Amino acid sequence: MSTATEVPMLNVQIDGAWMQFPKGTRAIEACRQATKFIPHYCYHPKLSSPGNCRMCLIEMGLPKMTPDRKPVVGTDGKPEISWIPRPQISCALEITEGMAIRTSSPMVEECRKGVMEFLLINHPLDCPICDQAGECKLQEFSVEYGNAQSAFLDQKVKKPKNVELGPRVTLDAERCILCTRCIRFMSEVAKDDCIGIVDRGSYNTIACHPDKPLVSNYSLNTVDICPVGALTSTDFRFKMRVWFLKETKTIDVNCGTGSNIIIGARENVIYRITPRDNDAVNGCWLPDSHRLNFKYVNDERRLKQPMVKGEPVEWRTAIAIAAEMLKAHASDTIALIASARSTNEELWLTRRLIEELEIDKQHDVIPRAGEADGLLVAADRNPNTTGAHLLNICTTRSGARLKKIADGVRSGQIKALVCLGEDATKAGLTEDDLRKLDALVVMDILPNKTTAHATVLLPASAWCEKRGSMINVKGRLQRLNKAVNAPGQSRDDWEILRDLVQAVSGSNGLHMIEDVFKQMAGKVKEFDGLSLSKIGDLGVQIIEEEAAK
Amino acid sequence: MFFQVPAELLAAIDEANSHYPVSKRSASLPLLHLWQEHFGFISDEAIKWIAAKLEQEPIHILELVTFYPMFRRAPAGKRHIRVCRTLSCQLAGSYELRDAVAKAAGIDLAKWEEEGAHHANAGHGNPIAVSADGEYSVEFVECLASCGSAPVAMVDDMLKENVCADQAADLLKLRKSDATLPKVLPPHPKERRIVFKNIDRKGWTNDIECYVRDGGYAELKKALKMTPDAIVGEVKASGLRGRGGAGFPCGTKWGFIKRGGPKPTYLICNADESEPGTFKDRYILHQDPHQLIEGMLISCFAVDARLAYIYIRGEFPEAAQIVEKALAEARAKGFLGKDILGSGFDCEIYVHRGAGAYICGEETGLIESLEGKRAYPRIKPPYFPAVLGLYMCPTIVNNVETLCDVKHIIAMGGAEFAKIGKPNNTGTRILCVSGDVVKPGYYEVEVGSLTMGELIYDVCGGLKEGRKLKAVIPGGSSAKVLKAGETYNVKGKTITLEEIPMDFDTIAACGSMAGSGGVIVMDDSRGMVEALNNINEFYAHESCGQCTPCREGALWMKKITDRILDGGGTERDPDMLVKIGDGIAGKTICAFGEACSWPTQSFVAKFRDEFAGKSQKQIPPPMPPEYSPGELIANETIEPVDAPRGNGSEIMAPAATR
Repeated sequence: MSTATEVPMLNVQIDGAWMQFPKGTRAIEACRQATKFIPHYCYHPKLSSPGNCRMCLIEMGLPKMTPDRKPVVGTDGKPEISWIPRPQISCALEITEGMAIRTSSPMVEECRKGVMEFLLINHPLDCPICDQAGECKLQEFSVEYGNAQSAFLDQKVKKPKNVELGPRVTLDAERCILCTRCIRFMSEVAKDDCIGIVDRGSYNTIACHPDKPLVSNYSLNTVDICPVGALTSTDFRFKMRVWFLKETKTIDVNCGTGSNIIIGARENVIYRITPRDNDAVNGCWLPDSHRLNFKYVNDERRLKQPMVKGEPVEWRTAIAIAAEMLKAHASDTIALIASARSTNEELWLTRRLIEELEIDKQHDVIPRAGEADGLLVAADRNPNTTGAHLLNICTTRSGARLKKIADGVRSGQIKALVCLGEDATKAGLTEDDLRKLDALVVMDILPNKTTAHATVLLPASAWCEKRGSMINVKGRLQRLNKAVNAPGQSRDDWEILRDLVQAVSGSNGLHMIEDVFKQMAGKVKEFDGLSLSKIGDLGVQIIEEEAAK
Repeated sequence: MFFQVPAELLAAIDEANSHYPVSKRSASLPLLHLWQEHFGFISDEAIKWIAAKLEQEPIHILELVTFYPMFRRAPAGKRHIRVCRTLSCQLAGSYELRDAVAKAAGIDLAKWEEEGAHHANAGHGNPIAVSADGEYSVEFVECLASCGSAPVAMVDDMLKENVCADQAADLLKLRKSDATLPKVLPPHPKERRIVFKNIDRKGWTNDIECYVRDGGYAELKKALKMTPDAIVGEVKASGLRGRGGAGFPCGTKWGFIKRGGPKPTYLICNADESEPGTFKDRYILHQDPHQLIEGMLISCFAVDARLAYIYIRGEFPEAAQIVEKALAEARAKGFLGKDILGSGFDCEIYVHRGAGAYICGEETGLIESLEGKRAYPRIKPPYFPAVLGLYMCPTIVNNVETLCDVKHIIAMGGAEFAKIGKPNNTGTRILCVSGDVVKPGYYEVEVGSLTMGELIYDVCGGLKEGRKLKAVIPGGSSAKVLKAGETYNVKGKTITLEEIPMDFDTIAACGSMAGSGGVIVMDDSRGMVEALNNINEFYAHESCGQCTPCREGALWMKKITDRILDGGGTERDPDMLVKIGDGIAGKTICAFGEACSWPTQSFVAKFRDEFAGKSQKQIPPPMPPEYSPGELIANETIEPVDAPRGNGSEIMAPAATR
């Protein structure tokens, strides 16, 4: 329920058309909503407005007033406008009743041309080797609003190039247009006021103090919001032209926040991950630790081949042997360790496997606890603990049963263990313990201490190689999408689990991941009425935020 | 830390800190000054020490050290000489003076420049050339605000006026007693001394006894018995307009303050006198500080400000000391501090020193500087000082002369003050005349009582022997130049340059501005390209660099006039200069945009022949014309998406039905 008081609506004329916007709207936002885009560099909706780039100058008018301060109404019944001869910045301008804006008049176009020329005279124009090329606002606005030729005949100002502002961010000060977005981001959002400007006038240069470099875990957001090629990601620098990147909308899986991201990949290789706007989750930011944690996906040690007792086998053989081994065990001798990094669909099929094998309370997930940073990194470093709990894979306290499972293995009470995407040695078991097991069915993507002892090894897919859904710590259901293909013979996790459930129970009927979701939605009320496609790019709140905690 | 911070410096630092009860960061500039006075320069360690002391990020101190040119990151000579480079001093020979000083000090400037030493630390910074033995150093600085006695130099903290190149060697061993301000002639009959009554007055001293003997602080007593509203009313009735440059009505500005709000109100005296051609505040600060303090206290009472600062430009170290002494005297006498004269009104005033940045004269830039930041002017709206000023509280910023006028308005009453001068141009103005006149200096006259011709030929003794008037800059170097022989149409009457009355409105009607009252006169021996180049260099150096047009355009204009003077002027350059000016004026955050472009716009428009004469090179051929962007687009034919390709049967089925 909204308890906000009603915000009054104001009448604003934009390029001749009267529209209504809530009080407090900035002119630049009102124009954007009216589909009149105003070019800008320094303005960022999530940061304060310094008004320094002067690109968003517009022509502004106010209603003509009679001497007794009443608006003069024209023949069309609308107020007559008295235009201010001086251009105004629209980024810091709050609308007022009767305000009129011209977003493209000769004066406005003249202003933009002038600003573009000023910005480019000292710019190196090294677009062919600039990483920003293709997503550079200087390039874009040059085409839209700039001049075809430069009138500048003199020496350009020289500034530092290839400066390591921090471990992950490289600065080319000559490309910088001094919009101060990076400074404001670090000060206002990341709360680590480490970037400033040194020198003066045309020599102004972005800098950090040598003792206090840009080390923040949010440093790469400055690269995202840098409208030009001044700040570049040291990791991504010179790796790939951005226009070759295939972009996939998905979510981050490094913690329970589930930040919305875009994966940039080319020919099955991921090159970078950038944040995707979602005000309900991460705004437009993303921690560095999360966005750079994708290299393991391309690791050459990836598991690519189903194995039984160390011997390569075909998939159907591996599944059949796994099912036989599990069916051969009494349910109280089987335990299952699942992962809170799995999707809801995978966890739903895991749930079904648990039910078919009648495993009772000998199943859990491995918790990953860290410290919340107060911004986007959640204390829960598993992305789908909420889903794991909702689907009864674990109790409200994830990992609570792990000790009992470990003790069971150690005492010989548990003879078969299923590990789905987790290393059992992280759950209190030793490799000696694992050696005692009759059956160890392991599904994973990279070799670890558990896979080394697997009786049946099932190579699966990484988070960016599959589809599915997860629920973040705040109860928001969001969607994973596939950016690249899994290597070798490895398969999508849900398919492996589906086959395993079928092999154990003999049931049938799931052909597509949509079917899994549908089946799940029929049984779990929180998913009721939803489908993978209905989740949309921005997700759906399915559990109230307080309850999710 | 490898160094010991001596106890007396620590004590001074603690004292400075106590002047900023609201924000520690505000003490950044004072601490840097104290440090540099003690150690001679700001080392990297100093930046870290000060940052730690003030609980600031080290980058924030580094930002200041590189922004304010008075701070240096390497030692200067034991005796440091700053020679003023700006227009009035250049006209009087400051370039020759600088070279002569360097020669006398044994510094090879040509070699030093060749070695690029001046780019060692900062891009913009004032390069400091130090003699090999470390005894002397020379720095070319922007306006020292003593244009009437040009050329001038500062030797350590001492100002030496009217110093010719042949006296350069004397500067190296200047003593305090040699550096006193010279006395000027008694007031000209056309003057009316109100604010400058005591300046260079016989027997006058700047201590409080002398001031009180002369009836000082009587107006403060009077004002404290009035209601604040009544004081604001008198100031409104007086028609007083701000003397800093913009000429905004003072009473109206005060009227924006809503007394009794939840936030405190601050008052700031803008003593960052730095518009080239202007040098009036210097005299008030040096010779009559109590007049200013009294005016400020009355103003504080009127707007309910309990804390006020006097922002004195860094190049006035002596003035800062004098005003601090005067404040201590006033405090001792009960005029300042708690319960002033038993009225129950508390008010504290502190001196805050700038450090060589012209932009601090812009009131919101000044506020940022006082907050311990780079002096980046704020956008207005929303940051009108009367609403969101110092520490985001209501703040009044007034010029030194304006605040002094307040005292006299209380003395004579607003209505009486309004009778001085002309309607809407009331009171007196201190005109600062420099350049090519026989008697440059300050002259306080009733606003508009005098024409430009009378000022130049009568009051200032005319031009030098055998010279004719060529141009006048009427209100500080940012004002548009007026050309001899021009006529102006003012209220239906055609008047010549000499007939312009020196008031706000007429000078504005003639296409320029009365500005800060700095009148720079140039005779027919002067080249206008050279003059504009000097002004361009000033503004390129002083642009804070915050917003695009001014940051890029000011330096661009300077580069073009540099090139024209070097013989590389192209046919397009005069037009280009105007175009750049047009691209800046009216499009920037603060009025610096106008300040830096008006000279270019007016010089080129009015002295086009001179610019064209020096700009005759062919424009370098443009890149060979291949296609215009329009042609490129026209040549590009893109098949519409819905058009069938080949025969219809080849159209692929939509993916969903495949």
